[in-house]
Amino acid sequence: MCQFFSSTFIILLGGFLSLVFARQKKFSKVIAVLFLSGGCLLGLLDAAAKLLNPAGASASFRYLDLFFLSFHVDGLSAFFLTAIFAVSLMAAIYSFHYMENEEGGIKTGVNYFFFSVLIASMALVVTAANILSFMISWEMMSLSSFFLVIYSHESAENRKAGYLYFVFTHVGAMFVLAAFGLIYGHTGSFEFAPMAGVPEAVKILIFVLSFIGFGSKAGVFPFHVWLPHAHPAAPSHISAVMSGVMIKTGIYGILRIYAILDFHTPVFGYITLIAGVISGILGVVYALGQHDIKRLLAYHSVENIGIILIGLGIGMIGAATGNPLVAVLGFAGGILHVLNHSVFKSLLFMGAGMVLHQTGTRSIDALGGLLKGMKITGTTFIIGSLAICGLPPFNGFVSEFFIYMGSFKAIPVGSISFAMSVFAIISLAVIGGLALACFTKVVGVVFQGEPRTKAAENVKENGLAMMVPMGCLAAACVIIGVFPKVFIDMALTAVQALGLDYGRVPVEPFGQITGNITFAALLFFVVVLIVMGIRSIYYKNKTTTKSGTWGCGFTQPTVKMQYTGSSYAGSILEFFSAAAPLSEEHPPIKGRFPLKTHYHSHVNDIAELHMKNVVVRPVFYLFDKLRWMQHGDIHLYIGYILLAIVLLLFFI
Amino acid sequence: MIQSILLWLAAILAAPFFSGLILKIKAFFGGKKGPPILINYYTLIKLFKKGSVYSNSTTFMFKLGPVISLAASVTALMFLPIAGYDPVFSFNGDVIFVLYALGLGRFFTIAAAMDTASPFEGMGAAREAYFPIICEAAMFMILIFFYRITGELQLSAYFAGSNTQSMWSSAGAPLLFIVISFFIILLTENSRVPVDDPATHLELTMIHEVMVLDHSGPDFALIELGSFCKLIFYSTIISRMILPFESAIFGFPIVMYIAGLLVVYVAVGVTESVTARYRMDKVPQFVLTSFALAFFATIITLEFVK
Repeated sequence: MCQFFSSTFIILLGGFLSLVFARQKKFSKVIAVLFLSGGCLLGLLDAAAKLLNPAGASASFRYLDLFFLSFHVDGLSAFFLTAIFAVSLMAAIYSFHYMENEEGGIKTGVNYFFFSVLIASMALVVTAANILSFMISWEMMSLSSFFLVIYSHESAENRKAGYLYFVFTHVGAMFVLAAFGLIYGHTGSFEFAPMAGVPEAVKILIFVLSFIGFGSKAGVFPFHVWLPHAHPAAPSHISAVMSGVMIKTGIYGILRIYAILDFHTPVFGYITLIAGVISGILGVVYALGQHDIKRLLAYHSVENIGIILIGLGIGMIGAATGNPLVAVLGFAGGILHVLNHSVFKSLLFMGAGMVLHQTGTRSIDALGGLLKGMKITGTTFIIGSLAICGLPPFNGFVSEFFIYMGSFKAIPVGSISFAMSVFAIISLAVIGGLALACFTKVVGVVFQGEPRTKAAENVKENGLAMMVPMGCLAAACVIIGVFPKVFIDMALTAVQALGLDYGRVPVEPFGQITGNITFAALLFFVVVLIVMGIRSIYYKNKTTTKSGTWGCGFTQPTVKMQYTGSSYAGSILEFFSAAAPLSEEHPPIKGRFPLKTHYHSHVNDIAELHMKNVVVRPVFYLFDKLRWMQHGDIHLYIGYILLAIVLLLFFI
Repeated sequence: MIQSILLWLAAILAAPFFSGLILKIKAFFGGKKGPPILINYYTLIKLFKKGSVYSNSTTFMFKLGPVISLAASVTALMFLPIAGYDPVFSFNGDVIFVLYALGLGRFFTIAAAMDTASPFEGMGAAREAYFPIICEAAMFMILIFFYRITGELQLSAYFAGSNTQSMWSSAGAPLLFIVISFFIILLTENSRVPVDDPATHLELTMIHEVMVLDHSGPDFALIELGSFCKLIFYSTIISRMILPFESAIFGFPIVMYIAGLLVVYVAVGVTESVTARYRMDKVPQFVLTSFALAFFATIITLEFVK
């Protein structure tokens, strides 16, 4: 535990010092990056060591002479800590060159301060061992990330994004608090310990409340509305951390509640799985319709949270129906996908950050042909894209493979679980296909072809500190994809901490599965090498010439004729138009000498569209009626307080 | 093992021949003599002898496209039992790997097309990304069907030895649906009429052919070989499903296999001769038919197989 606390302390110290020395911009940045990355590295080593040789550790402090703040690291915490520290380490290094364009040292210092608070509070959230320390860390995390979202507060759009995030995160926290309140009310203890003797209906209520609360942090449909606004607003290394690991604390919360409820009913599985399927499919459909590369990636987080939840749902069904293999496959797949998603999503956000940094635009249809000038960014981005599509031999495939195996094994269990499995398998297949369409769009339009506007011409990449983390993360995608054994073992350690009452999880069958994945991946590499060999033999001593692209007889092609991202996704979006209505603005061309016209399209997120009518308007209406209470008379306000205290005395 | 590898090689080598057969059938329906039956070999040899012209817009992805797509197809064939013999490799869950490896091939084919900055190729790429989404759903539905009957997740459990025959005896009627459903997937995934028309002269109406417009020489040969292999991969499965008979007579399975392949390729050729290509926005409905068939088949098995 000592190493864990010292690493959090170093991280916080780094942020604080950066604020103190904010006037010396360069110095404060160097200090911040050194301390943050040092602290993360220390924490990462500690967490990984705990995962490989499972050992729990706890610590507890007295707080305000009334409460204890206690922290505990078990397999589940250690797994999430590994992801948190690994991604934060990369993001901290990346930020060194990413933040160089920013004017004002104070702003940079403030950014690093809140960044350090965010990392430390995430680490504390996943280690908190009682309600109080959890809620305190949770709020610290929400607030620090709020300040990071409004980093570029000059733009009204970003302020709106920050406001939306603030509202969502706090409404979510209210739900979590309500769930914790129920737990405290029935057990009389703040500790996170398996609950006994609590009525089953209450347990279901607690699960549903906390699912909504944690789901709003994780970005589960329809509570994801803040996510596509907040992630693009933040600086790219922050987006990488928020999307890569911060939203996963929501998943951690769901798992932790599931573990302490200690109640295995298939209902939890159904809820989780259906929420996962809806988030997964709609997330990727909305992603496909985006024109802003960072918004697109943000919607992909919704999709991947969906995949994780499908895995966990299958796991819960397996646990409830007494099917250890299904349970462990589902949970391990879902938990491994947490790590995988944090690796490839932060990689993709960093790539998008590099594009934004060098071209100044996030608009997909304004870019093109970046791969020629940005070899490392482009290649790592392509690797990340392949991984997020779940294609072998990259890491996304491994976790999806486990979830598939779990879902198939749940088929014979019973008729409802048959329907659920079919649901899970088909939606995983559809999500995979849609993700492939989406990322071929991003790679094809942003990195390939010809530059569509001036901004994308002659773009080079620079900043070693930005390229090294991208390289490391891309390497991680391949390593986990080809040699998943260690990582699956880590996920299994995390599963063990869920207390599924099978005693020790058998490792044998999983070793075989990972062995098969490694074999298949290596086989594929060998085949590719052989084909490449054949190709190079046939190209020996041959003349290859360079020429323009064949224009199918048209001799004057311009770059504007290229297929755009919008047209690429058009027909697929039409297929899903019921869930993703498209609004278009296109003044018709009139007259013999038509003037300029324009085309603008926007895919409406139905959750966002209906939130206004279903939630915002009634709430406004209700509070409008209560406006008379807010009169500005301080005496009466004091009266309210007194009245509240007197009323409360009756209940205590 | 040796036998399996030989069969695998034979399948790759024979793939261009069978694809040539389709051309012959189409020529027959058109009242023409048609190209020689070995036309595809001649084309491949010609292409391998040539050099290449690369567009100024392209990057390394353009050269990687043909390699990965061919590698994906031949890797897929390694896991497929040919003529009922054991496949070269097999493991629990290999069918998921195979489907995803084919997806990887598709990613790179699309990426290679987008590399050229050509609007036509972009159009083809968008369609290539769209239709297989539904195909993939149908494929997994079929997989669920197979899993319900056999309880296994590997291709050899469905198509090797007497396994296919026992599938027929336990769920024959729904398996008929699966055969039709799979044939639709075959047509879609391999860009045949009525989804795509490889022979049209309009780039606008093509899917796969338009995506490879800019490839030339050995690169194009690899792509062609890759698509022949992909077609024989799907045809092998249908061939095994329609003629699953086993016998101790030497060479009997091979004869049955070839007969099955002939049936499939002739069916593709006849379909191509007697139907027109669908309008692009009708294609999804056609592909969804295959999903619906597979879905019904699976629902029926709920009663058949307890």
